[in-house]
Amino acid sequence: MTELLRGIVGMSDWRVWAMFCVGLALIWLAVKKEYEPNLLLPMGFGCLLANIPFSSAVGGGFLDVLFKGGITNELFPILIFIGVGAMIDFGPLLQDPEMLFFGAAAQFGIFFTMMLAVLVGRIPGITGIPGLKEAAAIGIIGAADGPTSIYVATRFAPGLLAPITVAAYSYMSLVPIIQPPIVRALTTREERMIRMENPEHEVSKTVKIVFPIAVTLIAGIIAPMSVALIGSLMFGNLLRESGVTERLSKAAQNELTSLVTILLGITIGSSMAGKQFLNPTTLLIIAMGLVAFVFDTAGGVLFAKLINLFRKRKINPMIGACGISAFPMSARVIQKMAQQEDGGNFIIMHAVGANVAGQIASIIAGGLILALVH
Amino acid sequence: MDSVVVDGLRISGLSYLLIFVVLGIFYGLIKLLLRIFPAKE
Repeated sequence: MTELLRGIVGMSDWRVWAMFCVGLALIWLAVKKEYEPNLLLPMGFGCLLANIPFSSAVGGGFLDVLFKGGITNELFPILIFIGVGAMIDFGPLLQDPEMLFFGAAAQFGIFFTMMLAVLVGRIPGITGIPGLKEAAAIGIIGAADGPTSIYVATRFAPGLLAPITVAAYSYMSLVPIIQPPIVRALTTREERMIRMENPEHEVSKTVKIVFPIAVTLIAGIIAPMSVALIGSLMFGNLLRESGVTERLSKAAQNELTSLVTILLGITIGSSMAGKQFLNPTTLLIIAMGLVAFVFDTAGGVLFAKLINLFRKRKINPMIGACGISAFPMSARVIQKMAQQEDGGNFIIMHAVGANVAGQIASIIAGGLILALVH
Repeated sequence: MDSVVVDGLRISGLSYLLIFVVLGIFYGLIKLLLRIFPAKE
């Protein structure tokens, strides 16, 4: 009888109810608002499973097995990257390689937020951010790239993994709400109406094949810590571009990505146990994640405006905001904004170029942080 | 200043700079590849 009643007795803990609300909110955001549903829905359900008192899914259950087998050893984010690589067409970036620098500029939020987290961690009474590793793991939310955030957080701050992941994926899904006001605040209407010519030259198949191999080797030699991330992304891209592994490329894009996303989502959700999740540090991380996205966007836009001071043919500074990664959401948002100002303005190719550059830059940022922070 | 803050500033600044350097190398790489392997091979 006691065995039957202990679940009901466990419901007397307010944290159980609070985490049920969090889990249901994630499911609601996925179903009703369609914000990153493929991830938020499994996360929300995983959160419910983990917070049912005396749940057999955790505490040695299947979610613990998945956590040890896919998150602790960083397998799931790496597998996701193979799928992401197979989905990305680097063509627009290869046609207009200048876009790479917007990817670099828009990583500003990572480092701004990392410093902010360091300073917040110095405030007496705040114990959740004791050192640089935790601050770096929070800053990497600004990579606007879920797998990179998970990868760095797993290594540097496993105790903060759940709120960092929730913040990263939530803000990625909120890019259409976060970016437009910042872009409008930092640009004039004339700047937003700047038209950009599409690059006319084509890119050969050889370049598309050599590019992922060369990037892996160069990035790997410069920052060996980034090999797992950049290597898996570029491996997926090579499957796509080689032209001889179409079946594998399709499997990476569809079956592999779908399967790992299910497991990743529900496993991350299971790490949202009330005892660890409900504390002031979680709220701080959620707030600082937003700061990271805001300063990423600002960094990209302001860099574009700076470049324009020295150019005859001006760049639409909104392109800078696409360097935030969050592929392909950011490029879509900026194209939509350009058309709101001028219906005939098509900057999507440049936007996509900057967006995939942001994908590469965010991985490099993750690798550098892993290498430099001790 | 707190040594953690100093370390943070140093690593943040260096990392941000290095991202530009690495992507600058990729820029050169793409330009080189486009020259070596033009579209009409």
